[in-house]
Amino acid sequence: MLGILKSLGMTARAALRKPVTIEYPEFHREIANRDRAFPILIWDFEVDEPYCTGCHACERACPVECMTVVMKDNPKHASGESKRRKIIDEFWIDYGRCMRCNICVEVCNFEAIGMNNTWAGHELSRYDRSDLVMDLDMLLAQSKEKKVEPGLRA
Amino acid sequence: MVVEDRELEVIDMPINMGPQHPSTHGVFRMVLIVDGEKVVDVTPHIGYMHRGGEKLMEAMDYRQGIGYADRTEYLAQFSAELCYCMAVERLMDIEVPERAEYIRVILTELNRLSSHFMFMGAFGIDAGLFGTSFTYAFREREYLQDIFEEVSGDRLMYAYFRVGGLAWEVPDNFTQRVHETLKKTQQGIRDIDDLMTKNEIFMARCQNIGSFTAEQAIAYGLSGPMLRASGVPFDLRKDEPYSVYDRFSFAIPVGRYGDVYDRYLVRLEEMRQSVAIVEQALEQMPPDGPIVPEKMPRRLRTPPAEVYAKVEAPRGEWGVYLVSKGGDKPYRLKMRSPSFCNLSGLREMTIGQLLADAVVILGSMDIVLCDVDR
Amino acid sequence: MTDVILGAPMVDELGHPFVSALLGLIVITLVMTVAVMYGTWIERKVVARIQQRLGPTRTGPLGLLQPIADTVKLLTKEDLRPATADRITFEAAVFAIFVPAFLAFVVVPFTADWVIAPLPLSLVYLLAISGLSFIGFLMAGWGSDSKYAFLGGMRAAAQLISYEIPLILAMVGVVMIVASADVYDIILYQDKVPLIVWQPLGFFIFLVASIAELERQPFDIPTGESEVAGGVFIEYSGIRWSMFQLTSYVNMYVLSLLGAFVFLGGWEWPFGRDIGWGYQLLLTVVKMGLFVVFYLQVRATFPRIRIDQMMSYAWKVLIPFALVQIFLNGLVLVYDLPDVTLLITSGLATAAMVWVVYQSVRMTPREPLQMVSVPARSTV
Repeated sequence: MLGILKSLGMTARAALRKPVTIEYPEFHREIANRDRAFPILIWDFEVDEPYCTGCHACERACPVECMTVVMKDNPKHASGESKRRKIIDEFWIDYGRCMRCNICVEVCNFEAIGMNNTWAGHELSRYDRSDLVMDLDMLLAQSKEKKVEPGLRA
Repeated sequence: MVVEDRELEVIDMPINMGPQHPSTHGVFRMVLIVDGEKVVDVTPHIGYMHRGGEKLMEAMDYRQGIGYADRTEYLAQFSAELCYCMAVERLMDIEVPERAEYIRVILTELNRLSSHFMFMGAFGIDAGLFGTSFTYAFREREYLQDIFEEVSGDRLMYAYFRVGGLAWEVPDNFTQRVHETLKKTQQGIRDIDDLMTKNEIFMARCQNIGSFTAEQAIAYGLSGPMLRASGVPFDLRKDEPYSVYDRFSFAIPVGRYGDVYDRYLVRLEEMRQSVAIVEQALEQMPPDGPIVPEKMPRRLRTPPAEVYAKVEAPRGEWGVYLVSKGGDKPYRLKMRSPSFCNLSGLREMTIGQLLADAVVILGSMDIVLCDVDR
Repeated sequence: MTDVILGAPMVDELGHPFVSALLGLIVITLVMTVAVMYGTWIERKVVARIQQRLGPTRTGPLGLLQPIADTVKLLTKEDLRPATADRITFEAAVFAIFVPAFLAFVVVPFTADWVIAPLPLSLVYLLAISGLSFIGFLMAGWGSDSKYAFLGGMRAAAQLISYEIPLILAMVGVVMIVASADVYDIILYQDKVPLIVWQPLGFFIFLVASIAELERQPFDIPTGESEVAGGVFIEYSGIRWSMFQLTSYVNMYVLSLLGAFVFLGGWEWPFGRDIGWGYQLLLTVVKMGLFVVFYLQVRATFPRIRIDQMMSYAWKVLIPFALVQIFLNGLVLVYDLPDVTLLITSGLATAAMVWVVYQSVRMTPREPLQMVSVPARSTV
């Protein structure tokens, strides 16, 4: 009988505590700085072009082969504005395949790719699976508008 | 009306607890043949979650494969990552720096806490609670997942350990955050203890159900809390210590009766011991130091050899048998999963019990279906 | 108190008793339907608070429109019927459960003046009517032509029949003391002291038996969620299923009202009959609410008992102790002992019952876990 009374007392005490629910979408939980949502590309504001040169390092290292990279000659290099000989032409990441393992960030030689650590990286619901394939503009959008500062860039 | 006098045919009724279970164990199918309320035969059907994980890992090198080890044992991820990294480190003869070892141990033990919380939650539901134990347990899991997110970046699939140490350094307030989290989760252990352990209904439901003697447990190849509940004091952290486990003093809870209640008590006590280990590790951890060895090769190529590495995961002995023929990808990787081996004892445990007990016994085994089917 | 007071029906300026009773019935049915719908809201909110989360919050302010949303959804669902089900049994089962529950409200005295049909044997009527519902469970289990439903129906029938007996025996003890089988008289008897003081054992037995009658945790084996996935009601959908659910809540209200009237004093204690119908109604609702909250808390706290343990609890513990209570009542009444003897003896019997249950569960002494703490062997 005592155990039963103990359980009843426990639930009575728990009923008086504050609920731990965070009511999404009015309130959002704070995410850590190192949160790994999905990869995005970083924009270089000094030279006004992406950091990414299209070297295929991340494409080779990806375990699920979710990236497609095409590079081109950098027109800004010929005119002397930028030190990058090649620049990224087209870049697709299939967010439906990406497993968010951070290996692309680790192997990048130019620190051109980072993990989105904002809520926008998590709120990516789409009605069609093929809408999850992000192209270069979509990947650069958040960094161009200075909305995100990725945490781990090792 | 004349009724013929026939012999009434009495058959045992097959009941199918189908792949879609109300109990939260994943896609597992159990065909029970019952005679009234008593179970006469059990046939488990597995394989609904087979994804060819071992074959996929043959195409991954030793950094890419860590994410796959996570996804196989998705409730004790750090144990799986630790075992995989240990196997490769033994093949390549790499020595992990001390600070990295301590951080690995801290995170693995915190993961043991969160895995046992999941067990407490799901076990309460199997026994018939209306979800109270589940919410208390998941409240604590959220705190643990918060600290894992601060360290590794993800809430469930961490991919944080690397061959040779860790992927990146822990944040600056790591020690203080771990202390805070430990204090908060102890409230959860107390809550669940108050709610379930001494409750007479719970005890009547769980005692003397599904007992296994020590000889039977060893014969069926059980490991982990199921083996220790049957009275065999075997824990890989003590008997074949790996990493830095030989520097901590902790006790191993060993049951006497091998029934469902003992397994629950063993896991509850293991949670307290894990808290003790984490506190000792936080004190002993060197405050700074490298997290990967200095002479770390850029590409991880293993010599042609074989190795079997095992760890004490929350469910039992999780092992990796790695066969390498040179190169940077394994030739064959087999994961010895404790859930699969523990499940082999289901039939023996359940025959002779009542129908309601079959669910409780399955719940007490704490299986992870991704691990059973890989 | 032996003079039966013919309670005046609610709308008595009409003068015609039949029409007044009919109006009373309509009002009760409507009010109770809405009350039962909002009973689901209360349950979800209370159980959520116990689990440290919020209940429904989005449909309307504080989730108050949630029951309406649920009702609309259930009304518009397709009414499925298995092809091999026995049609008449399947469809009539719902009514066999639903109707007796509402019939019980005919004799419930909400305040001193509000009774639809003041019968001199109203307690017998109440218990008899609420005992009819098990036929509906059997019909639902058999008519669904499904193994799970069949199992659930058998279990439900066994449970309901077994726990009727302690419930009735606890009431018999009360009737012996009050010397009347009318709920109205039982309430009037409690103008100084509620009956819970004189009959703690009877109260305890009533409490446990009523949870079993309602098929709520810890006695919800017929609708066991994790094993037989809904049990008897597995083949019902839409409006029929919602009628089953609502019946469960109507039964809860009926038994809560019964408990409030018989053991807690109803609207009579502590202020007597002269405070006006507003306060009397409030007292009734508050006392009923105490029972309801207790049932909800018990639901969220306890695991499910196994069927054989439940049967042995009813037949080996509750019924013998209910008979003990009756025997003690008889002793006190025959030898004209003072009332306080009732309290002492009944209290001792309650303690004895608790001890018996305690012993039976912890009969085999369990040694605690051994903590083996050998130092680790050195690494190989």
